[in-house]
Amino acid sequence: MSHLIIPAVPKAPASCLDLWRQKNDRLVHQARQLARDTSPSLRRQRLAQDILEKFRGLLHTLQGLPAAVPALPLELTVTCNFIILRASLAQGFPEDLTQDIQRSLERVLETQNQLGPKLEQGLKELWNSVLHSSSLLPELLPALHCLASLQAALWLSTDHLGDLALLLQTLNGSQTEASENLLLLLKSWSSPAEMSDAPLTLQNASALRDVVLTAFAYRQGFQELITGNLPSALSSLHEAASGLCPQPMLVQVYTALGTCLRKMGSPQKALLYLTAALKVGTTWAPPLLEASRLYRQLGDTSAELESLKLLAEALSATHNPEAPKLLIEVDLLLPQPDPASPLHCGTQSQAKYLLASRCLQAGRAEEAAEHYLDLLALLLDGSEPRVGPCMPELFLEAAAALIQAGRPQDALTVCEELLSRTSSLLPKMSWLQENVRKGTRKLPHCPLWVSATHLLQGQAWSQLKAPKEALSEFSQCLELLFQAVPKDKEQGSGSTYEDLYSCSDVALQQLRVAALISRGLEWVSSSQDTKALNDFLLSVQICPGNRDGSVYLLQTLKRLDRKNEATAFWREAQTHLLKEEAAWSVPLYLETYLSWLHPPNCETLLEEFQTSLLESHDL
Amino acid sequence: MAGAASRVHYLTDFCCPLGGPAAGRPRVLCHEPEVFLSTGREFVYVYDQEGGQLTAVFQFPDQVWHLQLLAPRRALYVLCARTGLYCLALDSLSRSLSQASEDKEDEDLPSPVIPVDPDACVLPDATLCAFTVVEDMLITLVQGPTQWKMQLFERPCPGEEPRPEGQIGEVELSTCTPPGGVPGKSAAPCFLPVLCCVLPPGSRALHGQPQGFECFMLEEALFGLLFGADATLLQSAVILCGLPDGQLCCVVLRALVTSRSAPGDPKALVKILHHLEEPVVFIGALRTEPQPEEAAGGLLPGEDVHSDCLVALGHQGRTLAIKASWNNSGNLVPELREYCLPGPVLCAVCDGDGHMYHSTPSDLCVVDLTRNGISWNLEKPDQAIGGLPSTLCPDSLNICSVVTLCVSSRAPTGGTELLALSAKGRLITCSLDLNSEEPGPARMTMANAGQKIKELLLDIGDVSERVSFLKKAVDQRNKALTSLNEAMNVSCALLSRQEGARPISCTTTIAWSRLELRDVLMATCVLENGSSFSLDQGWTLYIKVLTSSSALDLDGAGSTFTYTIPVDRLSPGSRREVTLPLGPSESGVLDLPVTVSCWLFYSLREVVSGALAPSDPLEIPYLEEYPLNLPKQEVVCLPLCKRTVDMLQCLRFPSLASSPAQASCLPGPVREHVETFLETCQAPHSDLAGPASLRAKYLPPSTASIRVSAELLRASLEDGHSGFSLCSATLQWLLAENVAVDVVRASALSSIQGVAPDGTDFHLIVREVAVTDLSPAGPIQAVEIQVESSSLADMCRAHHAIIRRMQTMITEQAAHGSSPPDLRMQYLHQIHANHQALLREVQTLRDQLCTEDEVSSYTAAQKLLQVYKQLRNPSLVLL
Repeated sequence: MSHLIIPAVPKAPASCLDLWRQKNDRLVHQARQLARDTSPSLRRQRLAQDILEKFRGLLHTLQGLPAAVPALPLELTVTCNFIILRASLAQGFPEDLTQDIQRSLERVLETQNQLGPKLEQGLKELWNSVLHSSSLLPELLPALHCLASLQAALWLSTDHLGDLALLLQTLNGSQTEASENLLLLLKSWSSPAEMSDAPLTLQNASALRDVVLTAFAYRQGFQELITGNLPSALSSLHEAASGLCPQPMLVQVYTALGTCLRKMGSPQKALLYLTAALKVGTTWAPPLLEASRLYRQLGDTSAELESLKLLAEALSATHNPEAPKLLIEVDLLLPQPDPASPLHCGTQSQAKYLLASRCLQAGRAEEAAEHYLDLLALLLDGSEPRVGPCMPELFLEAAAALIQAGRPQDALTVCEELLSRTSSLLPKMSWLQENVRKGTRKLPHCPLWVSATHLLQGQAWSQLKAPKEALSEFSQCLELLFQAVPKDKEQGSGSTYEDLYSCSDVALQQLRVAALISRGLEWVSSSQDTKALNDFLLSVQICPGNRDGSVYLLQTLKRLDRKNEATAFWREAQTHLLKEEAAWSVPLYLETYLSWLHPPNCETLLEEFQTSLLESHDL
Repeated sequence: MAGAASRVHYLTDFCCPLGGPAAGRPRVLCHEPEVFLSTGREFVYVYDQEGGQLTAVFQFPDQVWHLQLLAPRRALYVLCARTGLYCLALDSLSRSLSQASEDKEDEDLPSPVIPVDPDACVLPDATLCAFTVVEDMLITLVQGPTQWKMQLFERPCPGEEPRPEGQIGEVELSTCTPPGGVPGKSAAPCFLPVLCCVLPPGSRALHGQPQGFECFMLEEALFGLLFGADATLLQSAVILCGLPDGQLCCVVLRALVTSRSAPGDPKALVKILHHLEEPVVFIGALRTEPQPEEAAGGLLPGEDVHSDCLVALGHQGRTLAIKASWNNSGNLVPELREYCLPGPVLCAVCDGDGHMYHSTPSDLCVVDLTRNGISWNLEKPDQAIGGLPSTLCPDSLNICSVVTLCVSSRAPTGGTELLALSAKGRLITCSLDLNSEEPGPARMTMANAGQKIKELLLDIGDVSERVSFLKKAVDQRNKALTSLNEAMNVSCALLSRQEGARPISCTTTIAWSRLELRDVLMATCVLENGSSFSLDQGWTLYIKVLTSSSALDLDGAGSTFTYTIPVDRLSPGSRREVTLPLGPSESGVLDLPVTVSCWLFYSLREVVSGALAPSDPLEIPYLEEYPLNLPKQEVVCLPLCKRTVDMLQCLRFPSLASSPAQASCLPGPVREHVETFLETCQAPHSDLAGPASLRAKYLPPSTASIRVSAELLRASLEDGHSGFSLCSATLQWLLAENVAVDVVRASALSSIQGVAPDGTDFHLIVREVAVTDLSPAGPIQAVEIQVESSSLADMCRAHHAIIRRMQTMITEQAAHGSSPPDLRMQYLHQIHANHQALLREVQTLRDQLCTEDEVSSYTAAQKLLQVYKQLRNPSLVLL
């Protein structure tokens, strides 16, 4: 009667192997379900971590037994799942993943009885022995290819391209034709079809291969774009675009194609790609930045500025990043974004600065002034990091834009703000006064921007028709400027602290010239020609060949009726003046300032001189 | 400075063994009446200063490394080692706490231990090593495999579901060498990095924050100078970071806000301010000059202090101070000075009055950086403006081993109140009135007299604790020095006199005795201190017993036993006896000869490190940092004596009744009768059992003989043996070191029957013979010493022992220059040639033994024995 007492075992799994297999499949299902929930949260991360730990436990169980052929496909699959989940959670490939791969390969070799004394071989050799092993079972191949594609991903992400090529050659069985073209090798790699009853994987070999292929094409395309190998960059990028790209990557690829085509001289095609990039619709910033460059190259300033405006808006929109998909994706295999990359868009304030400075350069002073004020508010409000040039220069550019836009009062406010905010860094006024009292007249060094601020303040006062204030500002500016030490003359102090007092030679020289001419003009307008003459003369002496200074000097001499001197100066200066003025790289605010000093009808004036002097000479 | 008057109040005791600095990083924070405290273990305590009791204890999964309180939000951030950052909302906790205490009212637990909810973990990261919270930002420092990484997050709030994408910026700092393996698995790093936040003047973030702790405001000039014009213009907070490798670097927080896609460029973002070259343990700031507002109309208590001096402290006490000053031409220049304060620094804190307090295991010191603490150089007042003192003079507060400190926010009128946790787990407050000049007793009234006395007693208690601590240390060091001095004297005395009577001697005698039914040969070493110094702690008598290799085991190298016996205080004139067994071993084998050597060892480490061993765990780092430079050889070794015990010394002669060895050997009356009976019953069996006894029964005994010329013997034995026949004298000479020598002497024996150590019979016969055919001048009188034993091995050992004696005798005689008689050279040649042939045969036979199979090797062995026998009976005489 014993059969009545013992209950029947309900459909018991045939073996432990089946049990483990079921566990693997269950975990894969759980991971897939979790991946569907795209909102990133700590809870999701914890759950994913749990699944990972379970995979790890399962792997330990399997590897605790001696390697055996029947268990090997499952073991390899679990290894692959574990690696995929681990890399996806870590958003990269932790270093010890290689050990997991290595252990799996060693266990494959163990079943082949090939491991023996060669225990110390590296990954490359291991792969070679595993793949060349004659007695490999066909059912092992899908899992092995999956592991190989993970190895490929790992080597790609760590830049071991030589190893990768060797692995691919071995996988393709094409060792004889030593094709070095990784792209071709990747394309020709076909993984064996999976059996229907195989244990589940998170990502199978062919999907992984596609990811590696796309990532490689992307990397190569960008590298070639940067090195200037445009035709091959174009083909690589096309390859990447046709691959399995996530949308943000696709935007990058299209934009890079646009950049490439722009550089190759086909702006219309480039525009098509940029439009396509914008249509993808996840991130707009890269194509907009590229579009602004394209329009600038085409000379379409309004379109360029429009793109920049849109760029600034696009960057202000914060978008929530999606949670990792718990799969290995293309972006996992790409190097860290490089700020030097042509597609790097920076932050909103950087875009804003680009916009403002382009407006100023393009002569759209009102717009520029507005953008500068926006930018300053943005930065001082504290919600944005700093931008390209150093902060004092940004203030000065804003002031220059305001002056150019005819808002001298606002410019004065900006200048005062700058001085008050940095007052602590400036020499103490008491020292100045003390030195004055002692009669030493030895002024302390000041940062260059302080002199420049006085210069702009003078200009603003001058615009406000307040010659007294203007003259005093110009004079103070000049006093400070003649104390400044150019950077190259100063021996490297080796200090780690910011050198507040040095400046470039050219900027200093141009600042002096600008201040002298400005003061001279101020004297002229208050009809003190002799004082003006002094300043103009000094400006020409500082910078021999300066056209503006020379013209003003000649004008003043003429007005004072000192023709002989004018003639003499003219003869001397002619050689300098006829030469093209060298292109200096000076800060934008100074460039703007210098543009204001051009005499309105310089060429005609010079011609007049030429003829009048010749006449007098003839006489 | 006028002596710092301090009053110490004991608050409570967290009677937890802190277990030294390796156990963790204690922290204490103070806000209003509440004190938040971690002792370096996994607990965080909340103590109410007004109520004088613990209000809560939180338990974390691992050691707590750091605490920070965000006062306005009532949020406590806790860094838990190898786990991550937790955030506790104090209000909701206190609510749940009061509920919990209501629930458990009947239980007598004033403060239930609350395990922290894992959901309170707002930033799980096992590599997190430091953090600080500023405004709405959380700055963390994590340890990568090769680099420190600074990360910036949106500040997570308590109870809020943390978002993993809250990271705003990231930058890598300098390279780091991970302290021993992977964090998370390995032991805790020795030193943690220090983070603190510097705010530009005028920012609002400080309000409601505990002042001077991890967050401070610098005056404009210093701020601009250190961090540049951009940080000044942007009014950005700056994070200062002190790394365990000594680097002090800064990151402008506003610049760290990078786009999420790209990490920051370290070159642009990280500026290295200084390198202390020892682990940075503290960064703080001080106001050294009165603030202008203060000078004008007094500073409101709520007003922020704009510090004008940045200080950083290294573990060994190296201190950096940076101030901004104006040079002669009026330019702003940084003034950096490095000082050395007594280390190792356990913790430090700055107060609002220009004082820095730092704690070492032996003292809590205060350093005054203000102008009134500096002796000014009056001749050059220009340079003194904004200047730093050329040296720092720390003043002791007479409080030792404070492991963590904070400035109490409840500072009473004037002065400073410090809250400190001592190494023993005591929470104390320490009120300092550094500027008080008025004498205390004048103001004493009846009302406060009691209080005053209490305080004084507490002070005395604290001072006496410290005094006893220091005294103990000094005593130990003195003891070590005395011991070293004595050791030096002893070494000199022993080493200077290589021969002759040594002041400290060791003599070895051997005797048979009965142990556990077995006869055992015992060696007795007597160490006698004849010097005027005593051998104290640290000295060890080291005895090495080296047995020769067994005759049966050709390859064996013999075994060595060493005995170390600590000589615990051997005063002048006293002696110490050590008895040790030489054998035979369990198997009954005694491999003779045995060499017994004695040395005296002196262990420097035992004495010196013993004296410096910390009685307090806090001393450990101190000792580690200043290791005593012991020489590579940590012991001094002085050889005392060496004695070789051979067969002749171990022979026993049961036939000689009065031999003391025999007496001990015979069953004494005290022995149990049963035992005796059993033994006698067993004896015949055991005798017959062994092959040796079998051989003894059926094989002829092995013999060997040595002939010595009588003249030679007579010459060497003439003193001390007069009145005996030459044979008897020879026998006495041979057995001189045997206990039986007296009996031999008494009965003037010339032959003797004895027992070898393994129990086989042994016969020693000395007789006079005449050798005829050697000398042309006629027969030579000689003495033949014959050794007979049934055991071949014993015979060999005895032969060897006799030969050894002969050798010494002949070398001695040769020194006296006696001349041998004429010899027949041809005969000698003949004998020599015979022996050469025999030796060659030995060689070939031995070679055969090695190569051939068993049967032939047996015959070879037989032959070899024969040859050896011939060799042992030479026809030569020792002349």
